[in-house]
Amino acid sequence: MPEPSRPARGHTRRTVLKSTAVTAASTAFLPVAAHAEAEANVVGPSAIAPGESAEITLSVNGRDRVLTVEPRVTLLDALRERLGLTGTKKGCDRGECGACTVLVDGERVKSCLTLAVMRQGSDITTVEGLADGDRLHPVQEAFIRHDAFQCGACTSGQVMSAVACIREGHAGSPAEIREWMSGNLCRCACYQNIVDAVADAAREVRR
Amino acid sequence: MNVELVGRPVARVDGRAKVTGAARYPADDPVPGALHGFLVTSTVARGEVVRIDPSQALAHPGVVAVYTHADLPRLTVPTFPYIKGFIPLQGTAVHHAGQPVAIVLATTLEQAREAANLVRVDYRAEPPTASMDDATEPPHLPLPFRGRPNEITRGDAAAAWEAAEVRVEARYSSPTRHHNPIEPHATTAQWEGDRLTVHETAQGVNLTRSVLSTAFGLPPDRIRVLAPFLGGGFGAKGPVWPHTILTVAAARLAGRPVRLVLTRAQMFTLTGHRAEFRQHLRIGATRQGKLTALVETTTAQLSRTEESIFNESDSSSTLYDCPNVHVRQEGVPPDLASSSYMRSPETTAHFGLETALDELAWQVGVDPVELRKLNHTAVDQETGSPIAGKRLLDCYRIAAEAFGWSRRAPRPGATQDGDEHVGWGMATEAHTFAAAPADPPVTASVTVGADGRAVVRIATQDIGTGTYTVIGQVVADAMGVPLDAVTAVIGDSALPYAGVSAGSATIASVTGPVDRAARAARDAVVALAVADPRSPLAGVPADEVVTAHGHLFHVRDRARRDSYRAVVGRHGAPVETTGSLRNTPGHSYGAVFVEVRVHARLGSVRVTRVVTAHDMGRVMNRRTARGQVLGGVTWGIGHALMEHTVHDRHTARVVNANLSGYLVPVCADAPAVESHFVDHPDPASTALGARGFGETPITGVPAAIGNAVYHATGRRVRDLPITRDKLL
Repeated sequence: MPEPSRPARGHTRRTVLKSTAVTAASTAFLPVAAHAEAEANVVGPSAIAPGESAEITLSVNGRDRVLTVEPRVTLLDALRERLGLTGTKKGCDRGECGACTVLVDGERVKSCLTLAVMRQGSDITTVEGLADGDRLHPVQEAFIRHDAFQCGACTSGQVMSAVACIREGHAGSPAEIREWMSGNLCRCACYQNIVDAVADAAREVRR
Repeated sequence: MNVELVGRPVARVDGRAKVTGAARYPADDPVPGALHGFLVTSTVARGEVVRIDPSQALAHPGVVAVYTHADLPRLTVPTFPYIKGFIPLQGTAVHHAGQPVAIVLATTLEQAREAANLVRVDYRAEPPTASMDDATEPPHLPLPFRGRPNEITRGDAAAAWEAAEVRVEARYSSPTRHHNPIEPHATTAQWEGDRLTVHETAQGVNLTRSVLSTAFGLPPDRIRVLAPFLGGGFGAKGPVWPHTILTVAAARLAGRPVRLVLTRAQMFTLTGHRAEFRQHLRIGATRQGKLTALVETTTAQLSRTEESIFNESDSSSTLYDCPNVHVRQEGVPPDLASSSYMRSPETTAHFGLETALDELAWQVGVDPVELRKLNHTAVDQETGSPIAGKRLLDCYRIAAEAFGWSRRAPRPGATQDGDEHVGWGMATEAHTFAAAPADPPVTASVTVGADGRAVVRIATQDIGTGTYTVIGQVVADAMGVPLDAVTAVIGDSALPYAGVSAGSATIASVTGPVDRAARAARDAVVALAVADPRSPLAGVPADEVVTAHGHLFHVRDRARRDSYRAVVGRHGAPVETTGSLRNTPGHSYGAVFVEVRVHARLGSVRVTRVVTAHDMGRVMNRRTARGQVLGGVTWGIGHALMEHTVHDRHTARVVNANLSGYLVPVCADAPAVESHFVDHPDPASTALGARGFGETPITGVPAAIGNAVYHATGRRVRDLPITRDKLL
């Protein structure tokens, strides 16, 4: 197994294309000839043969974690099934519900729609890494204060999305928060309380 | 004395666990060595499996097994709450698209999922009936379901309808809807010899246990079902579904633990739904609007294997004073999956009733609120006995005042604001909550340790409604200890017995036993103290001891005091007590008022203001109760304006089995809700004055929205959802 390269922080066009090609080669069930063709498109040392796994390093919550995954493993399944970080939830596995939202280099990303192999070299923050020791993040505090959850299945995603929403400057008014938090479904429908919590946390973060 | 915690807006005790990701849901618990399961599901809706070729799947790396009907042992088909009528992989018949035909086990999730796609299944397919409209047979009246008849007759409704001064006749309809909790259904099954442990996304750990006990012919005490947290159920996780049984069977065959999580798409055929529904309603009344006759025939989607009707007409037959009633709940079986309970099963029929009353109000020229007051009943329409503690009239008054209903424009289409027509509408809300079974009785235990802390144990569930918090409040009040000195242990069938968290029965059925167990624990500790020569309370009559803040005091001499910690510490062993009580079923009520804005050219409907008032007896926790109102109102918006599942007319497959095609309300769809509670203890309650509540707020919302749309535009939409094509 060749040593996977460690691309520069963030994803360049090249790394995205490369990872996509890797995925295409390994997940599609193709005849041998097609395999060869797909593999021919893969450039560089991180090529992974179909059905093979690669050892990768992910920086999660400030710690480097080494894991062995097939290229088709999503960041979500890597977190949940390989690293035991089950705070991040799977709701739809198609980027529709937002339950799996994590921060990648500070941006909110649906971890079901990105592959673990694409996220080497990025700083990944999950809900488990948000608090500072025993001290909760202001968004977490505000969610408790405003009863912004019931069952909790969407809560990790809501909290991570809210952290980014505030950082993006999209928490200026309740109307703005409603729009910019609409990528995270809450079937218990605590939306009004979520808006209140995000507005409250935004004031605190700005302070 | 302690300030009572019950009734106050106490913050959820599981809040920290939920905002930090520490709460472990059934698919989160690590189970060493567990294989990943993935279902292969039928692509045809009717016919037979002719041949299954697993060879390609078995050749895929990491695949351990592919099980089909040829491999599974014969199992016993359980009855309620297994509402499917058959277990897949027990034969070759296909009853609906999406029915499991094989289960794949592999080392990783990715391997199992891909291998499931490699299993080749050949079918002998027959053309399916995909909708009630295409059914060749006429609707029929199914046999009574769980002892409840599908036909209710009171007085002579046909004659009263003929003789009525004023008549409203209309047909209402609503489509298939899916619960779509954010957490998919998940089962992890682990056998040790003939003992079985199941981590299950269950609204009822004991219901799941009873179904597995029947299916596998295993004594219940060999089965343990765990669901410490649940990521939403809304009825979808009340019954037990085939994937649970198949996962348990596969784990036994493989001799390894197996975890199986349904995909979102699989949840559209494997976990029940609210059935497609038609309602033909005829209402007779006096010129003043007093009901004299109600004739209703409903038609619900059944399935080829299950005849139960879940779209109940309780509201039509019992909500208002009407001497002549005839309700028939009929059904038609297309080749679709079985329906089931979905949050507030009354909602579909309630929409027609509350819309028809609005139509009647306009016809006779009576305010819709006044019309409902005129038809209010203080007695049970079926038994004639008084309904204890019903305060629905207070709900109308409180909500109407808060909404400003008296300023309503007297004509439809009279108010315009920019490009939007503005309309106001209202409806009554009503829900029947359930009683837990009598045998075994619902029981809680309370253990007080040498640290003075209380642990309450009961096999109930917190499905997001706040059970952990409310039973903690109850124990803290009953014992006189702080809330943080109480730990609730729930979601485990090995705990003292409790029923399913469905039918709004959790608080109604568990708080009575919890209160009894906690009071018994208090009394036991007081008895130890007064009998202990080392206690400052030695020799004090037990009824002169009060408890607060974890301490025991002499009622007249507060200086003579002891503590739970000291008493139990000296005793040298934990104090454990139990309490049992069966709850009474009943009804909760409310009124909902909404404002909508309908775009004059786009036909889009926005709900911009909602005011509710509810009567559920005593409010146990204002914060969690308000959560149920917010949820119910938003669900009502989904039902009224967007949610519908589409079946392909030719293949009987679900077209929109995802959350981008099946639209649910998002944050931007949810308006501000002003919620009020009458908050008056119900004298008939066995739950500290409370009644079951959770499913009450939705029931009136779709009709209130439709009535507001009529008020805004003069257009009456009787077929839900009210999409813009119906308004343009």
